[in-house]
Amino acid sequence: MILITKDLTKHFGGLEAVSKVNLNVEDGTIHSIIGPNGAGKTTLFNMLTGEIPVTTGQIYFQDKETTRLKPYQIARAGIGRSFQQNRLFKGLSVLENVRLAVNARCRGRFNTFKHFLSFSQPIEEACAILEELQLMGVAARNAGELSHGLQRTLEVAMALAARPALLLLDEPTSGMSPDETVKMIRLLKRLGKRLTLVIIEHNMNLVMSISSTITVLHQGLVIASGPPEEIKKNPKVHQAYLGGNLSC
Amino acid sequence: MNGSKFLIRDALGRKTGLVDRHILIVSGLSLLLYFILPFRTLPTEILVFALGAVSFNILLGYTGLLSFGQGAFFGSGAYTAGLLLIHFHWHPLLILLLSAFLAASIAAVIGFLSIRQVGIYFVMLTLAFNQLVYFIVYQWKSLTGGDDGLLNIARPDLSVLPGLTVPLQTNFQFFIFVWAIFIVVLVVIRRITDSPFGRILVAIRENPDRGRAVGYNIFHYKLLAFIISGFFTGLAGGLYTLFLKMVPITTVDIITSSDFVIMSLVGGTRSLYGPILGAAIIKIASEFLSQIWSRWMIVLGLIFVSFVLFMRGGLWGLLLNLRKKLFAPKMEGEGRS
Repeated sequence: MILITKDLTKHFGGLEAVSKVNLNVEDGTIHSIIGPNGAGKTTLFNMLTGEIPVTTGQIYFQDKETTRLKPYQIARAGIGRSFQQNRLFKGLSVLENVRLAVNARCRGRFNTFKHFLSFSQPIEEACAILEELQLMGVAARNAGELSHGLQRTLEVAMALAARPALLLLDEPTSGMSPDETVKMIRLLKRLGKRLTLVIIEHNMNLVMSISSTITVLHQGLVIASGPPEEIKKNPKVHQAYLGGNLSC
Repeated sequence: MNGSKFLIRDALGRKTGLVDRHILIVSGLSLLLYFILPFRTLPTEILVFALGAVSFNILLGYTGLLSFGQGAFFGSGAYTAGLLLIHFHWHPLLILLLSAFLAASIAAVIGFLSIRQVGIYFVMLTLAFNQLVYFIVYQWKSLTGGDDGLLNIARPDLSVLPGLTVPLQTNFQFFIFVWAIFIVVLVVIRRITDSPFGRILVAIRENPDRGRAVGYNIFHYKLLAFIISGFFTGLAGGLYTLFLKMVPITTVDIITSSDFVIMSLVGGTRSLYGPILGAAIIKIASEFLSQIWSRWMIVLGLIFVSFVLFMRGGLWGLLLNLRKKLFAPKMEGEGRS
């Protein structure tokens, strides 16, 4: 298990957004987290990455406790994340966005006396990531000028730059056109071969086709967890989605 | 691979040496100030404030921190230099260095306490700390002279080698001294802003949450930006003392803080050179306007408001746009060949 949570709970005042969630993410798998709006999915992510403090419970990443660590410490420990709303360095070029993300784990990141272009490692690695994600063509454009789909892809690129062992993706296909979605699914499948992915997603086609495990959250509680076939048949899950057809 | 090399240059810009065309142009133009302007002390004052504005812009333009506490750093540099000049007869460069270090330590404390907050709360904290420093200076009469400030400070000459002393007594001699320091500091600050560290500051300005998520300890970087800004602002303060041969209490005033803000915004915060332009324009405009009309501050205020409303890039942004419009086709042709 690469990531384990034990009775992870988050209170916002009187609201229990996430309650006693026990998550077991197996190494090298694609693990999806689904659930209706307000189920606590993003709150769960925010606790995993240290964005918001945990109320009670523990988080273990690669057998080390990360519950109380700060976001930058968790990033360095090897958990990368993309955000539901794009968070990019919008005024900077695409390449500079990824270079800055790579630079966070490079030697010389604190250097104040040499020109940043003297450090070739972050530039080379950033170019390699852009090649892989087919973003090299827009490398010189400002991140803020890209189409929404490309910005979502850049989000993934930035998360990859930290060379994470575990990648948390918050709705990677949200707002994407069908074409872009197909490309993203292909990319996620490819990434799934070399690192562990935890994905929050609403697109059921995507979830069912790429996940090895699915965890269903509803009102902060885990109501089901298992392989896609089991989840499809689970009556509790159907109820949570108000009878919605999961294979749609 | 040539293609990707061009792409990388398009995306990241060109690597610059310590001294390049830009620095030479700024050196030349700032030297010219002395010969163009009819006022003999104004050019020196412009360079001192330009130094303060450039230091302030490390916070606003590069890190995205609107600090209203620069007066505390400028003033503490000025008072440190004043007190050292009165009580000890040390080398002026040593005195400037100590002024910078004291201002940097005050910046470290104020920064440490302010950057825990963001947005308006951060701005108010820097403002409050500036006032705190002001009232300490105001009340501590035995040390600082209170309302009167420090008076009758002698400006020492600059001993370079045993037996070789450069006089700093005339306006021109002192101008050259300030000009030389200004250029050296500008080169240093530019190198800092072009370094990996400087680029991280820009990342923090663009999106601190993303900066955190990719693994930067934002707090450390912001604090270091504060210390660096405080250091050079304090140096400017020390130079101001040598320039005036006295320290008025206005140096530590929040008006001084807002002066740096106005200069940077008028000049343009997205460039290292914008604030220099802003400092020159504001200082020259106030000098001329104050001779014409006693309510000249109103005009200055209008200039500032119109810049914030209509020219967000400041004068520097305006110049860049002009250049783009005039030379765009030609420059593109150069890039392709």
